[in-house]
Amino acid sequence: MCGTCGCGDGDSVTMTDPATGAETILREARARSDHNHGHVHTHADGTTHAHDHNDDHAHAHSHSHDHGHDHGHGHDHSNHDRGDHHSHSPTQAHGADDGLVALQTAVLAKNDAVAAQNRGWFRGRGVLALNLVSSPGAGKTSLLERTIRDFGGEIDIAVIEGDQMTTNDADRIRAAGARAIQINTGSGCHLEADMVASALDALALRAGSLLLIENVGNLVCPAMFDLGERMKVAVISVTEGEDKPLKYPHMFRAASVVVVNKIDLAPHVDFDQAAFLANIKAVNPSAQIIMTSARTGEGMENWRAFLKQEMVKQAQT
Amino acid sequence: MHELSLTRNIVAIVADHAKTRLVRRVRLAVGPLACVEPRALQFCFELAAAGTVLDGARLEIVDGDGDALLIKDYELEEAA
Repeated sequence: MCGTCGCGDGDSVTMTDPATGAETILREARARSDHNHGHVHTHADGTTHAHDHNDDHAHAHSHSHDHGHDHGHGHDHSNHDRGDHHSHSPTQAHGADDGLVALQTAVLAKNDAVAAQNRGWFRGRGVLALNLVSSPGAGKTSLLERTIRDFGGEIDIAVIEGDQMTTNDADRIRAAGARAIQINTGSGCHLEADMVASALDALALRAGSLLLIENVGNLVCPAMFDLGERMKVAVISVTEGEDKPLKYPHMFRAASVVVVNKIDLAPHVDFDQAAFLANIKAVNPSAQIIMTSARTGEGMENWRAFLKQEMVKQAQT
Repeated sequence: MHELSLTRNIVAIVADHAKTRLVRRVRLAVGPLACVEPRALQFCFELAAAGTVLDGARLEIVDGDGDALLIKDYELEEAA
């Protein structure tokens, strides 16, 4: 599956372990010269197909493309090898007589399958995995730092940090005293299940630990990508305005818990708490709401109590 | 924003299935809660399809249920 959402080329997805500095490339950048899918479609006359992958079939189609775009695209074919592993002729139908082929395949089937594997992995080890989502700057990393410091080693905590660039957040988490892996999505705007699976290999989580996955700051895309977590936790700060749940209903509907952070700033930004809670209820009546200030520590005991309670539940499933 | 990623998934899934056969049309069901902008999918589809067996194919978006984002079927170009 391809996770690069931006149109820019040259961005790869990387994973960095701040403890060792080791960097692993999870997905090659698109449009690299070293991947071997170099079609030489000459569509002007509609005939010349000089595929340089191994299939030696001759495309004798004759549709006339008169658009002169150049085919310098580079999608990653590592997941679906297009070698010559099928021996029938190109015109032979795969069981469809009328040219219509039923698929009924979910677009996110591949991600969902990996997410299901992750979920089983977590269940088997009694690991509670939470997917933290928010807009950039809501205070996810500060909340995690405070959580790690306040628990003070009472529970095993590990963090997967998702950002487009830099290992700043993983460094902060590590400084706070927890194991962290940084995933840089390049131009990608969300984490996907296979990135989490790769990070799990690197993290060597202990059974019964808490895994906090800090998604890329974005209230749109992460809503659709299941990572295998027990639940999504949306973090919002009081500075963002009361109507955010109404503006981004998908995310607030996908989250089981909403953490309202920076409540120490509420008096300074005229935060209307009643309106905000009503707006969350409007899009997600069952969401649990926890008010915190990662800076002053206010409400953090409720957040910690919630985490411990969910860890007990996870251990019992 | 994620529509390009999704569109490339759609193209990859269909291309993988169609093997070398050329595809004329793909039918995609999008539910009202799918969190997807159909026009953005259309916009990205031509780009994502370029240079594949879906080059020049049409993306037909039909209504789906709930949060469905499902490739229902695809139609092949008639053999030359």
